[in-house]
Amino acid sequence: MNLGLGRACLFSSCRPIFSASASLRTVKPQIPLFLRPPTHSASLLDVKKWHEWAKNLTSSVGSSFVEFDNGPDSSLLCRELNWLLEDALENHSSFHFPLSCERDGSDHDENVLLRTSLDDLYSLWKQRIEERRPFQYIVGCEHWRDLVLSVQEGVLIPRPETEKIIDLVGDIVSNNEELGQGIWADVGTGSGAIAIGIGRILGSHGRVLATDLSPVAVSVASFNVQRYGLQSVIEVRQGSLFEPLKDVEGELSGIVSNPPYIPSAHISGLQAEVGRHEPRIALDGGAGGMDFLLQLCNGAAAMLKPGGFFALETNGEEHCKFLIDHMQNNAARSFHNLNIVNDFAGMQRFVIGFRQ
Amino acid sequence: MSSLILKRPRYRSLRFCQTTCSNTHLLSPLASISETQIKSPYSSNSYNSLLFIPNQKILVSGFSSGLLESIKDPTWSHFSGPKHGQFSDADEKDKVLASGFVVLKRNVSGFASVLPPRGDKGLVYLRCSCSYSTQAAAELSTSDGLTVDGIVASNWTIFDESEGDWKSHAAAIAQSIQVIKRRMQWKKLTVRLELLAVQLDKPDLWDDPVNAGRISREHGSLVSKIKEVKAFEQQLLEHIDMIKLAREEGDAEMESESLKALLEMRRNSKEKELEALLSGEQDSCSCYIEVQAGAGGTESMDWAKMVIEMYKSWAQRRGYKVSLVDEMPGDIAGIKRATIKLEGEYAFGYAKAEVGVHRLVRISPFDSGKRRHTSFAAVAVIPILGDGSTRVQINESDLRIERFRSGGPGGQHANTTESAVRIVHIPTGITATSQNERSQHMNKASALEVLQSRLDQLEMTRQAQMNAQHTQSLTEISWGNQIRTYVLHPYRMVKDLRTNYEVSDPDSVLDGEIDGFILNYFSACLDKEDDYP
Repeated sequence: MNLGLGRACLFSSCRPIFSASASLRTVKPQIPLFLRPPTHSASLLDVKKWHEWAKNLTSSVGSSFVEFDNGPDSSLLCRELNWLLEDALENHSSFHFPLSCERDGSDHDENVLLRTSLDDLYSLWKQRIEERRPFQYIVGCEHWRDLVLSVQEGVLIPRPETEKIIDLVGDIVSNNEELGQGIWADVGTGSGAIAIGIGRILGSHGRVLATDLSPVAVSVASFNVQRYGLQSVIEVRQGSLFEPLKDVEGELSGIVSNPPYIPSAHISGLQAEVGRHEPRIALDGGAGGMDFLLQLCNGAAAMLKPGGFFALETNGEEHCKFLIDHMQNNAARSFHNLNIVNDFAGMQRFVIGFRQ
Repeated sequence: MSSLILKRPRYRSLRFCQTTCSNTHLLSPLASISETQIKSPYSSNSYNSLLFIPNQKILVSGFSSGLLESIKDPTWSHFSGPKHGQFSDADEKDKVLASGFVVLKRNVSGFASVLPPRGDKGLVYLRCSCSYSTQAAAELSTSDGLTVDGIVASNWTIFDESEGDWKSHAAAIAQSIQVIKRRMQWKKLTVRLELLAVQLDKPDLWDDPVNAGRISREHGSLVSKIKEVKAFEQQLLEHIDMIKLAREEGDAEMESESLKALLEMRRNSKEKELEALLSGEQDSCSCYIEVQAGAGGTESMDWAKMVIEMYKSWAQRRGYKVSLVDEMPGDIAGIKRATIKLEGEYAFGYAKAEVGVHRLVRISPFDSGKRRHTSFAAVAVIPILGDGSTRVQINESDLRIERFRSGGPGGQHANTTESAVRIVHIPTGITATSQNERSQHMNKASALEVLQSRLDQLEMTRQAQMNAQHTQSLTEISWGNQIRTYVLHPYRMVKDLRTNYEVSDPDSVLDGEIDGFILNYFSACLDKEDDYP
């Protein structure tokens, strides 16, 4: 593997997700909590005890995480706790009824069905608070747009900012039928979020090729594609950047990517949920954070067919401006309508354009 | 019982009478009889007769005296026959009640009107799908002329349910029917129905389809409400007829069956009384409840939290699906504001009784000086209109959508599950926030739903101003004045200022036991209106 080709090369020692030999092995995806069968049973009282314990642990956090690294405050964590309960209990609505049961005292030993053991729930919530393990890894899923995507350690948790890429593609496709019937590439697909979002827009008219270097990502993305029944639309391929897409060179209707773009020096200062738990290869964009963005920009002209569209997520204003300059100076004749698009928070986030 | 269920309203004036009948069977007494080839069992001098059809029992719970006179007319001669009780061809086991106008199905739609023969001998007019309003005004009676009002007026002693006295059951049910009618504002309802019927008959009605839709929906819903009560009333009278008949026949089995049926009705009637409290157009809708803390800092924010928790557990107890849509926590404790969504039948109908300002008096746990504090929380309730209703059209371009997020560079730098969305409707300035869903997408959808309901409510208020009849009930839904006081110190009591209803155990109330307050409020504000004769 050559250095320019992908996240695995920048893979750090902090989390050994795979090694060169392991990359050939298929990884079995974890099943998100809410999809597991409710095979565990616990008394309602014990579940309530756990809930009380977890609430106390949570409120002890206060705003300390916010002050420390802009992490979650206790009220957000409380909301997460309710969501965990929602995913773990077979019949979530029953949990709020027991008030009346307690009063007549008859149903104290009523049992509820859980999708994981009570012991597991204790350790999961401990991990959330004490290790700052991301909530999405705890429950094994992330609610993104109208999707519920399976995620696990080794795969970047899709960010709300990235939802915008789907809107951008949706607008483009609704104004240009031809692009909607072509092949789209999601480079570095991770959980498959963008590919699935686009796949649902294109439907059976088009195709999406989703690539990732990480075997964990490939397996998780494939799982998600299956869950949404999009196997006939989306193909997941393992490999770095454009490498697995050589057969469609010059034929792509669109390229979308949320590549690693955080400057290496910033990694150590990241919010604990991100820095300590999410895969560095999905975050670290090299010294300036633009290693992959530049490769994508440089490769896009060759991969896209005339009139093809691209959208890249970046680290912000600095990246956006640099990339636009770079393309105007080096590939002015290849692209037109180069633009910067803001994310929902008003930050310059995406670079978009069309192949001449 | 048989499939032949016979209904016949008794009319004081028979110049124009109507009855319900199935779509395809517009049956006058004449028609039914000739069609079914019944051997003229009607008595010519007694209107209480038995029709017999093999394997079916029919009790003709007769024509009122008004019609009786016309029956004497020779054209009705085939009504002459043996007196009631003669089952010449009958197997004793097969008897059914029939009444003047025979209807083959219970769930009927469409109406037939019969102009009884007077001058024109034997001339019968059938008119289909005429308005129901006359029907509502008509009074039902048993074969011997007993009406609901008559039953109540007879002052039969009402014993306990366990006492198997039919008169006591009948009296209890009749009383309930009067309560139901009073609560439904029966007279107003029939006037309104007549008004709507007139509008429905206008040839240019559908020039304004939105208005036409609204009118025909309201008409339809009023008709079905009235029908339901009428059917209940009819059922009572039929059972009474049956019991009387059974006694005459000495049919103990039939008597005990009817008695059982009466008891069943008596048990149902209490529930119907409750439902009658909720006969407003939006009452059956799901709803949002919003609680906002009044001035007074942490103490009143804590109070607002207690109030919203009270509604949560009340709603759960009632079996509604409860979800938190939006919550703005207080700085130290409690909430500044919160919105919950209640999904289920009659959520709005009940919850609307809670609109207004709720006042708490207690020693504040947030006051180191342990002084007594008074704080306020305001409660608003917004109905979530069903799909059938006309909803306000929202233009996407009129919306400003704001997403909450913490500062910092965002994107891959931050991992947060916070995805709150706030939507501003620019033309009206109305806003809605949702933060409890797990993605921005869902929060946006949820906030849009809240916004839609708020705009719908605004539109309803506007409409209500044009429609004086509805103004009264709608003004009650807007933010009102103080409605209830909760005192935890120096004594313990919760008192509703509208009804003076009070409870000495505030804990149970704050734990969601507020049905007493709600029902008392409805009874007080509906029963005081002397609408029913």
